Amino acid sequence: MTNDNKISSNKKNRYLDYDVLDKWLSPDFDDHTREVIQQRIEGDKKIRFFFKQEVDILSAVADRIIPQSDREDGEKVPIVARIDEKLFEDHRDGYRYEGLPAQREAWRLGLAGIDQSSRILFNGKDFSSLTATSQDSVLKILQTGKAPGEVWEKMDSAAFFKDILLISIVKIYYAHPLAWNETGYSGPSSPRGHFRKWEGGIDPWEAHEKNGK
Amino acid sequence: MENNNWTLSAPGIHGEPVAMRDLSKETVDFCIIGTGAGGGVIGAKLAEAGFSVAFLEAGAHWDPTRDFVSDEMGSRKLFWNDERISGGEDPVELGSNNSGKGVGGSTIHYSMIAMRAHPADFQRKTVDGSVAGADLHDWPLQFEDLEAYYEEVEEALQIAGPTFYPWGKRRKRYPKRQHELNASANMLVKGCSKLGIKTAPAPLATLSSPYKDRPQCVYRGFCNYGCSTNAKSSILVTYIPRAIAAGAEVRSHSMAAQILHNEKGLATGVLYFHKNSKELFLQKAKNVVVAGYAVETPRLLLNSASYLFPNGLGNSSGMVGKCFMVHSGHQVFARFPVRINQYKAPPGLALTEDFNRTIPENDFIAGYTIEVVGPHVGDFASRLSTSKMMWGEELRRTMYDYNYYSGVGIVGEIMPQEKNVVKLHATEKDQYGLPVPHVIFSHHQNDRKLIHHAIMKMTEILEAAGGKEAWSADRTAHLLGTCRMGNDPQRSVVDRNCRSHDISNLFVCDGSVFPTSTAVNPSLTIHAIAARTADKIIESA
Repeated sequence: MTNDNKISSNKKNRYLDYDVLDKWLSPDFDDHTREVIQQRIEGDKKIRFFFKQEVDILSAVADRIIPQSDREDGEKVPIVARIDEKLFEDHRDGYRYEGLPAQREAWRLGLAGIDQSSRILFNGKDFSSLTATSQDSVLKILQTGKAPGEVWEKMDSAAFFKDILLISIVKIYYAHPLAWNETGYSGPSSPRGHFRKWEGGIDPWEAHEKNGK
Repeated sequence: MENNNWTLSAPGIHGEPVAMRDLSKETVDFCIIGTGAGGGVIGAKLAEAGFSVAFLEAGAHWDPTRDFVSDEMGSRKLFWNDERISGGEDPVELGSNNSGKGVGGSTIHYSMIAMRAHPADFQRKTVDGSVAGADLHDWPLQFEDLEAYYEEVEEALQIAGPTFYPWGKRRKRYPKRQHELNASANMLVKGCSKLGIKTAPAPLATLSSPYKDRPQCVYRGFCNYGCSTNAKSSILVTYIPRAIAAGAEVRSHSMAAQILHNEKGLATGVLYFHKNSKELFLQKAKNVVVAGYAVETPRLLLNSASYLFPNGLGNSSGMVGKCFMVHSGHQVFARFPVRINQYKAPPGLALTEDFNRTIPENDFIAGYTIEVVGPHVGDFASRLSTSKMMWGEELRRTMYDYNYYSGVGIVGEIMPQEKNVVKLHATEKDQYGLPVPHVIFSHHQNDRKLIHHAIMKMTEILEAAGGKEAWSADRTAHLLGTCRMGNDPQRSVVDRNCRSHDISNLFVCDGSVFPTSTAVNPSLTIHAIAARTADKIIESA
């Protein structure tokens, strides 16, 4: 992980001309899929589950897991609001690993723990006011399961990091059309489907490459 | 059954509702709990034989034209999302990984790989002898008992497969021609060819040409998120319409709570919650078939414990919930110099069974099948990030190459162990107030050696095909065991005809009955066992 705050351009997204939403009215987006995507793009940004302090911590964490400094504030893929929505609605995933509390409690504990570790390691400073490098350090220590703080006596920091924090943020980010654009993912494909399945085969309605450089 | 009670309607598969009988007030011949590969097949065949059949399905009755979206996250409703606690040394990922909810069960989102098990798979103990720490048993059924039923369900599902399939017993040709391979499948074939490993197009339960009122596959690639075109031969579009037409009722949003019995210890019906009501309803039945897959099936039997059966129904052996198995589903991905676009077409278009047997020079018994996989972008990103602990800019930059990755995964045989269990959680309850399942799983030493071998082999294949920077993801697939079939009532839950040793009008008919896991995708075998069980019931009636 590098620490510069910009998405470096040495290996830029290959699909500069590609916008999956250009296909909105094409035979790839059926009505009910359009509804689902529309909701995701316009989704409610209201915070109903997290407290203000938790939002600050989680926003800072999300910025490190998926940095979006290449986008203006209003154009970033919203992460915190989506997690808040899942927790407010209490949409579960069908299982949780033994040793982790139910998701709402796990998130509350985990975010408090990140702040605790941050204060212990960095002279009382809360997580969101740390430099990016220091924030990465806290997250890396979390990842090893050796994060300091009494919260982590109740819950394994490595399990929280990997099985809850990381996977949730990554799944939410890569469910957004902006992430599909940069990865060249073709997105919805019903009813048309695909034809050119062979290696190097690209349907006219798939992402074509155009690198800025 | 003469009364004219076709008063209900169910979603048809083309968006038009179909008439359905209301059996809620009747004492039905069979109440079937679950509508997946086991329940769907047995229920349809029993209904067609003239029995009255009521299905109880915990989830919704899907309308494929409206409910199945072309989107990963938008498909979360297809999975069993109720809480389960997963523990042990190697806790299993449940939910979207292996558990369906809704009519059709997991066949709504399975990868459709329709393989037969092999004669040796039914005789693991005889072929390989005892293995310390493993509870190996031969099946009470042999390949020959199921062969005609494999053929029957392959015809019903119109499996598309190769003319010549290089492994196993010679077989009649598949009903439909094989599907053309995609780039990912070609990478498996290319790598294997260089290494002298045989490959074949995978036999798949999705149409390669139109069949009756269903079109061929258009390769949209969302097979794991519900098929919106009806090309996929899920239970929802195959056996369920047959069952309804034959007079069965498919009662959706009906969560079975307990199976009831009389003083003689015979099952009399099923108590269930309907549409999240707090109220319990009773479906009276002369026979009960439990087909909820290897977590919900033992859970229901355990939740049905009573004064006559204090350890749960059908559990005098103590084996209900024991010997829970999965398949090892480890995957390896590598980056290629050409566009792969792995999201296109069904994910598992080609495979090799060259390692699916006990190979004397290996330090483990049994084997694995290697199959192509094709995760969409969200799934791929989460596997990449959690396997390599990759995040930050490195993750975003690596994901720019998503379209250049190809991957393979295994279906690896897992040893049955008594310590791997599904039990009731001591304290936690679900939204109905029922104790949630507590699943405990740890790998056997043989599993670990097999997995290690498979990861090396998969890496070698992808590299031989030109892949670079290979990495592996720890995964499992499928849910098996927990109500195994056997001839010995002391050591098994049901007999070879899926009938409870303890309760003669109680049946278990799903992946729970597997005594050993085999190393092929289990769905076709579950279909075949259900088809056979129906015939045995019809013969004995």
